[in-house]
Amino acid sequence: MEVESSTAGAMQLLSPRNFPGVFDSVDAFLFDCDGVIWKGDTLIDGVSRTLDLLRSKGKKLVFVTNNSTKSRRQNAKKFHSLGISVSEDEIFSSSFAAAMYLKVNDFPQDKKVYVIGGEGIIEELQLAGYTGLGGPEDGKKTAEWTSNCLFEHDKSVGAVVVGLDPFINYYKLQYGTLCIRENPGCLFIATNRDAVGHMTDLQEWPGAGCMVAAICGSTQKEPIVVGKPSTFMMEFLLKKFQIDCSRMCMVGDRLDTDILFGQNAGCKTLLVLSGVTTLSALQDPTNNIQPDYYSNKVSDFLDLLEA
Amino acid sequence: MLSRGVVVSCSGQSQRLFSAVSGFSAARFLPPPSSSPSSRFASVAWRSSFCSSGDPKPRPRMETLKAARASAPPLRDADDLIDSVETFIFDCDGVIWKGDSLIDGVPETLDMLRSKGKRLVFVTNNSTKSRKQYGKKFETLGLNVNEEEIFASSFAAAAYLKSIDFPKDKKVYVIGEDGILKELELAGFQYLGGPEDGGKKIELKPGFYMEHDEDVGAVVVGFDRYFNYYKIQYGTLCIRENPGCLFIATNRDAVTHLTDAQEWAGGGSMVGAIRGSTQREPVVVGKPSTFMMDYLSNKFGIQKSQICMVGDRLDTDILFGQNGGCKTLLVLSGVTSLPMLQSPDNKIQPDFYTNKISDFLSLKAATI
Repeated sequence: MEVESSTAGAMQLLSPRNFPGVFDSVDAFLFDCDGVIWKGDTLIDGVSRTLDLLRSKGKKLVFVTNNSTKSRRQNAKKFHSLGISVSEDEIFSSSFAAAMYLKVNDFPQDKKVYVIGGEGIIEELQLAGYTGLGGPEDGKKTAEWTSNCLFEHDKSVGAVVVGLDPFINYYKLQYGTLCIRENPGCLFIATNRDAVGHMTDLQEWPGAGCMVAAICGSTQKEPIVVGKPSTFMMEFLLKKFQIDCSRMCMVGDRLDTDILFGQNAGCKTLLVLSGVTTLSALQDPTNNIQPDYYSNKVSDFLDLLEA
Repeated sequence: MLSRGVVVSCSGQSQRLFSAVSGFSAARFLPPPSSSPSSRFASVAWRSSFCSSGDPKPRPRMETLKAARASAPPLRDADDLIDSVETFIFDCDGVIWKGDSLIDGVPETLDMLRSKGKRLVFVTNNSTKSRKQYGKKFETLGLNVNEEEIFASSFAAAAYLKSIDFPKDKKVYVIGEDGILKELELAGFQYLGGPEDGGKKIELKPGFYMEHDEDVGAVVVGFDRYFNYYKIQYGTLCIRENPGCLFIATNRDAVTHLTDAQEWAGGGSMVGAIRGSTQREPVVVGKPSTFMMDYLSNKFGIQKSQICMVGDRLDTDILFGQNGGCKTLLVLSGVTSLPMLQSPDNKIQPDFYTNKISDFLSLKAATI
């Protein structure tokens, strides 16, 4: 099973042989959530004990998730409901990333933000002092197509933020499209572009990449992406933890977001096979993204540490 | 119909147009998905339906664009143009009508062309209606047009499936409106989805599993006012999990004039969504893909050089005509204005432009 590394870049199966070296060289573990910590609303086996063990060994834990439907606070609640203790400021969700992007770029507070996505984005925008329009409640709206009806949109919208939206509908597509095409300088921000994800434990579902591509299709514009693999969030992580990237390890289940994020940022990378990526997909000759290490799941740490 | 964002653009958007163009050209020649190399649908017949018999293959778009003249001239001698071709292909929105209102002088112009023995064909990217339903629209507007002369992208999708011998025991999942369903039915194909799936809801909770029909062999995506997550997931599952399942787009128009007062997010949006979740490129059957051009030139036995394409949108109508090797005439009665046409960022130049098609009558009169 192990891929023997004859060249420096080849990925290695995490084993009792290489694990101690990895463990000692990492001060902070960055975990993706969907497919690593949980699947839908179901905790993956052994995760709780693994995280406790890592903390007891003095490792910092950070959770970097592209799922924008929840705010940091709501994500923390989910952790608690699954029996894992985390603090809000250990969580970096793409909903938070979107609000921070606007903040660091001095987005004017008198401009509004139209949201195609979940409550999480609306909440993070509010916390950052911005006014969000749209979000879940526009899921109930429909458009009218009679000749004398004009579809109105707020001309003071200066940014459209698009994330995962299971309540996507034509009204939202049209609203976002009009803002981007007609409001001068309107920003088009994507929380992330994941094609699919484990929104439930039993199967994959279309991700934010779908809603974002819908808006790309109607506006013929490309978005600013704030979530993985963009390293925008890394700036905040570095500021908070004062740890060098080389002493961090990104643990994720997705090559084109988690592992690419880690590589772009200069961290070590570990792919777990408990989510969307299978071993055959990882080893497929067409796959160009090679993590430093791979393993079945996060709780493998328990066996490896006890070895 | 021209999407403003494309023409009134900075160079970045022009680049996007180029890549969109080559994407369309590439999409034409994309074989059905390689996930099933022995797919029954990957027949030679499919490929030949795109490569026109007889006529030379159009040059790759980039070369043709570089060779384009600086700016198209206004149409001066309508007679000349009319006499030089046998067939006129008209786009509908912005050329014949705007919303539900007929554009001035259209009936007389069409009558004049018919009296000169010209064949008239109407090609629209709008997939919401079937040919029959469009026939009714023409009738209510007082125009004398036969159903057989109308080619909507809804019809194109069904015709494409026919051209590749899509098996009758396979099903088609539709993310789109009634027009597509009607055309599939007429062509003898079984379908699922369409508007009624707009009422279906999903609940993302533990233990919930969405089933999908494993006999679906093609997903057809077009403009859909009842677009929702259920349909996106259903289409995505079919494309990702049913071996050899085709992904067909009726068209990729970014915006469309559903009402004459403003632009509305178009089929490009729904197609974009499915591209996003499947990470696959669709086979595009509507303009500017030349599928419909090849189809009707084969059906009516017309040489492409004997055709003039008349439309109001550069990136669909005019590109369609150019890709097909026809003459092209842009009318300014729709979404494209003269400044847009003449903008330095616009790289698509028709052979001629004029205000509206009834200029054929007035320009003609002036030369007598």
